[in-house]
Amino acid sequence: MSESPTEGTATDASTERAAEETPGDDEERSEIVLEVENLRKEFGALVAADDATFDVERGTITGLIGPNGAGKSTIFNLISGFYEPDAGTVRLNGDDVTGIEPYKIANKGLIRTFQTPRKLEGMTVREAMLIGPQRQPGESFHKLFTAPGAVGERERANMADVERILEEFEIDHLARQPATDISGGQMKLVELARAMLAEPEILLLDEPVAGVNPTLANKLADQIRRLHEQGTTFLLIEHDMSFIMSLADPIVVLDQGSVLMEGTPGEVRTDERVADAYLGGGGV
Amino acid sequence: MADVSTLTDPRGYWGDLTSEERGVAGFLAAAVLVLLALMLTGVLNPTYFLFLFGLGGMFGLMSLGLNAQWGYTGLINFSVAAFFGLGAYGAAIMTASNSPIAGDMNPIFGLVLGLILSAIVAIAIGIPTLRLRADYLAIASLGLAEVVRLIILNEGQWTAGSQGLRGIPAFFEGWPVLSTLPETLPQVNIEVIPGRVVTLGFPFWRQLLNVTLVLTFMAGAYLVLRRAHRSPWGRVLRTIRADEDLAKALGKNTYFFKMQSFVLGCLVMALAGVFFAHLQLFVNPGNLDPTTTFYVWVAVILGGAGSNRGALFGGFVVVAIREGPRFIEQLPPAFLTEFPPGFLRDLAFITDDVLFELPSIAISPGPLQLLLVGLLIVLIMRFRPEGMLPPQRELIWPDAVDENVRKRPDSGVREQRGGDGDE
Repeated sequence: MSESPTEGTATDASTERAAEETPGDDEERSEIVLEVENLRKEFGALVAADDATFDVERGTITGLIGPNGAGKSTIFNLISGFYEPDAGTVRLNGDDVTGIEPYKIANKGLIRTFQTPRKLEGMTVREAMLIGPQRQPGESFHKLFTAPGAVGERERANMADVERILEEFEIDHLARQPATDISGGQMKLVELARAMLAEPEILLLDEPVAGVNPTLANKLADQIRRLHEQGTTFLLIEHDMSFIMSLADPIVVLDQGSVLMEGTPGEVRTDERVADAYLGGGGV
Repeated sequence: MADVSTLTDPRGYWGDLTSEERGVAGFLAAAVLVLLALMLTGVLNPTYFLFLFGLGGMFGLMSLGLNAQWGYTGLINFSVAAFFGLGAYGAAIMTASNSPIAGDMNPIFGLVLGLILSAIVAIAIGIPTLRLRADYLAIASLGLAEVVRLIILNEGQWTAGSQGLRGIPAFFEGWPVLSTLPETLPQVNIEVIPGRVVTLGFPFWRQLLNVTLVLTFMAGAYLVLRRAHRSPWGRVLRTIRADEDLAKALGKNTYFFKMQSFVLGCLVMALAGVFFAHLQLFVNPGNLDPTTTFYVWVAVILGGAGSNRGALFGGFVVVAIREGPRFIEQLPPAFLTEFPPGFLRDLAFITDDVLFELPSIAISPGPLQLLLVGLLIVLIMRFRPEGMLPPQRELIWPDAVDENVRKRPDSGVREQRGGDGDE
């Protein structure tokens, strides 16, 4: 902020200020949704995240790749508040969200999914979907009795949203199935659909197609593209190279807890350091 | 599910029930018939039965409370007896004639104090433990139960210590009509079997009033809990039970939800305690006996975790098992002296020694209670680990679901589970 304003930065600054004043308006938001800076996490002697720094720009599908143990999931947990970082900062739309509770981060518009789909025992798929929407009046106990009408109205609206989004994901036939009785791939679709009901600004997907058959994986990729076109920003971890190369741009490569490089899929594919990291060489 | 359809379309309602629900309904109908027969023939004293029914309602309330904690949210609470005791002592301190602090006040104040005490203790134990994993609450609550009991036992200047608090009035004392109603009702004599007159007098009407009170508490708690269970609020609790991280990742303040669920459950348990104080008219620290906690756990497991109706059912069954063996002592003496029956005596290989010992083992009610409870737990775990009435319907706010879809009898979870049950 101490720089003397040139013509370009002046307009940037003014849009940023406007964004702070009206956080509901997408068009005036800053270009960077998520800023990760020098993020560090140690588990005993193991440094799982070693001063990782990268940005996620609005409107991108940013990929996060790296060999096993590179710290991808750790970084996800640090960003989403499930782990507390030892050092570094995470900024969401310019707000410092480092180390705050996961639910607060989610309320600020960052929603994540998990590597292994979480099972909701005793619920049907559509019940499990109804957890997604944020700030439901029916989630406050006293309103169940003081304002049952508003609760019902919102529940009806949510129900319509659930039906619509299940149709869009082409899994509306599962709506009344027990949420635990569907295939792993279908669970991943349900997770993605539910995350969308939370209307996230940025969606963190942890291995969205791990263990999913190729047909469903393609379907998931189509859905992610479709949602991306509708304006959602994505950050995704994936081991399936062809999947991530075809979907994400830019791609951030992690190795041993820190960012090795960042670039387009083409650049990542031809970078020697990346090949070395994956083949286990070059570690000095 | 006391919908309007129950009244307008009883057959459709019956058809809409799962096989489990029909089984339990049939069992209850049979139990009612047997109990009525026992009362009309004078075997079972109606006044005493109402007292037992009151105890059943009390256990039903405690199970409802525990179900709201463990069945909804997965919170493991081993201090049911303590919250029950807080309710009972809250009522007693305000109303008992020998209460060191207040005493002789309107029972309404006792009700309020009981609820406030339990809410405060629930919040106090919840703050440090509910942020942690579920196990910590279990351990802390186990300790809490003892702490509460010992405080009540030792702080005689507030609680009268081991003497207990006596002279508690009936709950409706001081109310306009209800306080004198039992005295004014006439004595009724019923004679079904000639020579055996069943008299319903003042004690009977008084117990009936007590039962009305517990039914009111139960209905109130049940309606509140059912609405909460079907709401988005309840859905968050169920998500926490299945996977707390998922709830957090979807922006739910799980700590706050767990706290609400815990306090709500403790309030319902305290309600049971308030009722108990006005049923027994005397409380002492022995009423906080930790075995109560485990009977309530058995009731909830028997009924099916997460099922409000199951919790109520379980509460009554547990009381039947606890109190049932006492009736063995009241069996006609002829039966006891002829145990084992005559034809067994005639068998050559049964010696007199064996005959002499058998009756004393078989008819002592105390051990039989424990044996039956143990047997019940083994049977549930072996054959129905999900309980008798596990929740099987979708829990969505009623007016958000299409009427025509809801009426369709076999779909969704019900179809799946119901189908399993029939096989």
